[in-house]
Amino acid sequence: MTAATTVAERPAVQARAPRPRPSQWALINVAMAILLSATVLFVAFFPLTAAGLPALGPAFNPVTGAWTMAADARDTDRTMHLDGLQEPVAVYLEKNGTAHVKAQTDHDLFLATGYVHARFRLFQMDLMRRQGAGRLSQVVGKAALDSDRFELQLGLLRTAQLEWQHLEASDPSRDALLAYAHGVNDRIEEARRTHELDVMFTLLGYQPEPWTPIDSLLIKGDMTQTLNFTDTPLVMALLMKSLGADLTNEWFPILPPNQQAPYDPGPYPPASVAPIAPMSPPAPLLTGAEPLHDRLAALPAGLIAHGGASNNWAVAGAKSASGGALLAGDPHLHLTLPAIWYQLSIDSPTYHAAGVSIPGTPVVLIGHNEHIAWSLTDAQNQQTFFYVEKEDPAHPNLYFWNGQWREYTSIAYDIPVLGGTTQHLKVRWSVHGPVISERGQTTSVWWAGNLPSQDLGVLLAIDRASNWREFRDALRGWLSPTHNFVYADDRGNIGLISAGYYPQVAKGQPWLPMPGTGEFDVTGTIPFDQIPQDYNPAAGYIWSANQRQVTSDYPYYIGTASNFFDPGYRANEIRRVLSAPGKRSAGDMQALQTDTRDFLAAEIVPVLLQSLAKEKLNAGETAAVAALKSWDFRMETDSVAATIWWYFWGWYMSETFQPWWKSRAVKVDMGEVFDGLGQGLETWTLHNPDNRAFSAPGVGSRTAPDAQRKAFHKLIGDLAKLYGPDPSTWTYGRAHGRMLENLAEVKGLSYGPRADRGDANTPLAAGGYPSTHGPSWRMVVDWGSRTFSGVYPGGQSENPASDWYTNRVDTWWSGDLDPMVSVDEAAGAAGVRTWSLRA
Amino acid sequence: MRLYTAVLLAALVALAGVLLGLWWAPFPVALVLGAVAVRARVALTAGALAGLLAWLLPLAVAHERYGVGPAASSLAAIMGFDRRPEVPVVLTLLVGTLLGLTGAWLGSGARGLTRSPSGDSFRHQ
Repeated sequence: MTAATTVAERPAVQARAPRPRPSQWALINVAMAILLSATVLFVAFFPLTAAGLPALGPAFNPVTGAWTMAADARDTDRTMHLDGLQEPVAVYLEKNGTAHVKAQTDHDLFLATGYVHARFRLFQMDLMRRQGAGRLSQVVGKAALDSDRFELQLGLLRTAQLEWQHLEASDPSRDALLAYAHGVNDRIEEARRTHELDVMFTLLGYQPEPWTPIDSLLIKGDMTQTLNFTDTPLVMALLMKSLGADLTNEWFPILPPNQQAPYDPGPYPPASVAPIAPMSPPAPLLTGAEPLHDRLAALPAGLIAHGGASNNWAVAGAKSASGGALLAGDPHLHLTLPAIWYQLSIDSPTYHAAGVSIPGTPVVLIGHNEHIAWSLTDAQNQQTFFYVEKEDPAHPNLYFWNGQWREYTSIAYDIPVLGGTTQHLKVRWSVHGPVISERGQTTSVWWAGNLPSQDLGVLLAIDRASNWREFRDALRGWLSPTHNFVYADDRGNIGLISAGYYPQVAKGQPWLPMPGTGEFDVTGTIPFDQIPQDYNPAAGYIWSANQRQVTSDYPYYIGTASNFFDPGYRANEIRRVLSAPGKRSAGDMQALQTDTRDFLAAEIVPVLLQSLAKEKLNAGETAAVAALKSWDFRMETDSVAATIWWYFWGWYMSETFQPWWKSRAVKVDMGEVFDGLGQGLETWTLHNPDNRAFSAPGVGSRTAPDAQRKAFHKLIGDLAKLYGPDPSTWTYGRAHGRMLENLAEVKGLSYGPRADRGDANTPLAAGGYPSTHGPSWRMVVDWGSRTFSGVYPGGQSENPASDWYTNRVDTWWSGDLDPMVSVDEAAGAAGVRTWSLRA
Repeated sequence: MRLYTAVLLAALVALAGVLLGLWWAPFPVALVLGAVAVRARVALTAGALAGLLAWLLPLAVAHERYGVGPAASSLAAIMGFDRRPEVPVVLTLLVGTLLGLTGAWLGSGARGLTRSPSGDSFRHQ
């Protein structure tokens, strides 16, 4: 069989014989073999970046490739050795994946937490640090270049580096970050060794670099950015320029025109800063807003905060059926797979906390410890200010500030690009912050997220706090993003404090881009004792849902009604339910979290029905009116009226404002200012039906009822086209659904869209279609019975082959909660997996 | 019998390489096989089968130990073939097979260049 055998069977060719020429066929044959081999080897060894194909060999081979996700998905009892541990650590994994870390030293607690996070969420963590550091292009190519440029300009990396430099050696958060990074790196090393890195690393063809404390600080920066870096002043500038100062002032006021429910009604101490001047646009400052606004609008979702939506509230022990304080919290964020949250409990000599953490950070962000529980919502005040720098060709590369020409500080960055050449970026900084636009005008941005802070230390202090005083004192150091921290303790006390920076400017109009010459600079913040807060209010309950926290008497400027603060419908509904007579239970809290009553609909629909009372209606319109008449204003999937209302409000808005937009060529999409316009429309519909807003150019003199009738007729015709002629089939579930999007934007690994209830105005928030934003974690605490429960949509593992990828979705969807058990309860529970971690 | 022996030997060597992390092992193994085998048809068949087996056996073992169904479904979803878990399985086996096949073909073709137009082989002394 061998060549040697073959040769032996044949006469050997004489050594001196002339070398025969290969046949033409042999040449063609070998040429084709070379061609095919080269092709196969090329696609096996090298990624086809343009086609989005990974290198097939390393990606798909069954020993070290993507198939290792099958082994990674298993959950078993294990004993592992981790470098850096001081003592043995036990990790208990509940059947649903919730992790409980029990350590004998604080150092080991954070190290093990880092390991556990990385074990289940390493790719997510890497993606988030890359986003903040402007390094996405390195692994996904030029598609991420705009994001990387913007992030490096904005300065998250610089801020994280400064925060780490400023962290004192004695600060407990320094040890926590170092130990946490050690644990993450233990997992990276283990995953490399066992070829069990997440499948996305394999498919994208890269390996994670070692984790550093700065990476954790970057992830905290990501969250700050997504929650409070806004472009609202640019939007306002564009409105001023195109819609006109008259209508902009009227339709987008500083204080909300509608009735809202601030949780801190005062009285307030007098302000120590000058009052805000009325709006009057300094025209030259508006010219640079459009290119910058367009640039920011083109960035990937999540980099700019576009309003928030979260709920939290607490009920005092005196008003609770169990006798103990109740607390409920559901922060609303982009719903992703894997989720932003990782559920765990931490137990060490100093820390005994349980709740949810953000992978990449070593703290329980929302949860409870032995004595207190807390949750948070975005406070929404203005923390982003744009400054137009004064420049002059006679002073190149300088800007004028406080009477002098000054040099910008420059920082140079290289941005490696997968499949392309490395890009070079020079970022200039003025005293206000980074220059983020040089098109039209040089605009820099003062953003509170760029101030080095020690917010992780604050969160660790909250994890350790045992009463209101310690909780509140910890929050003195919280800068950004401003959050409404709700509180309830085991002694029946409740509180709410909107902690963070409230920047104040010396003068000017901070809701617009301001001159950068010095007179309009941020001069300070509202003193901590004067920020919105309340403790044990007489009503026995307290709540927040991104609404403006204070009344019009509050002596400080904290943001405008449009875009900074929520219109207030969720807050109004929550207050309506909590203020009802009787005592409340944990079950009531859970029910309120999934409440689908639309407060705005309850206000407007009766007015609409009145407007239609004498109108001549066709059969479809008559059926629609009948559905609205019997409606309980709940946005349920089987409700026809919910569909009609959902569309009506949009059609009514369009009917009222679109003619203005058209006639004045407004350069802001109406969707961007939907909430602001809605507050006005609500107010005029209820109290001022003759408002000039209804009489746009080209439509003649009209009133609110006229606009409602016209919108309604058009709406019913459009619904018939969309869903068929029979209104009884127009159920809300056909019109509205929800989706959990894969974090890496892999469509096949997303969940939904699936029909779902709620809308943007209901406590069960579900704005848009498909809704991709909503309750990212629901938690209910009853200190009377010491029961804690919570759930988030998704699962603990980012591995899509794991049972823990989507195992919590159905529980969350149905509005149920899972019990949050203690470490010791988890250790003895059926089906628990135990990891024994050893040095 | 020759074919079976060739397949077995080549597959074992290639498998050993794959298990050591050298996922490309089927190619050089089949290259050698093609270079030494007299009959191209035997070399190509043996090379392809060796490549297939070297990638199939670890996948089968992984399936036995962990179940690769969810992994296959996930990979299919990532590739844009929702609910077609067979696609990544076929692709995986195809890559292994092609590594073996092309290696054997290249080896066999190179060997052909060293043969006379009449088909006689020769050797350099």
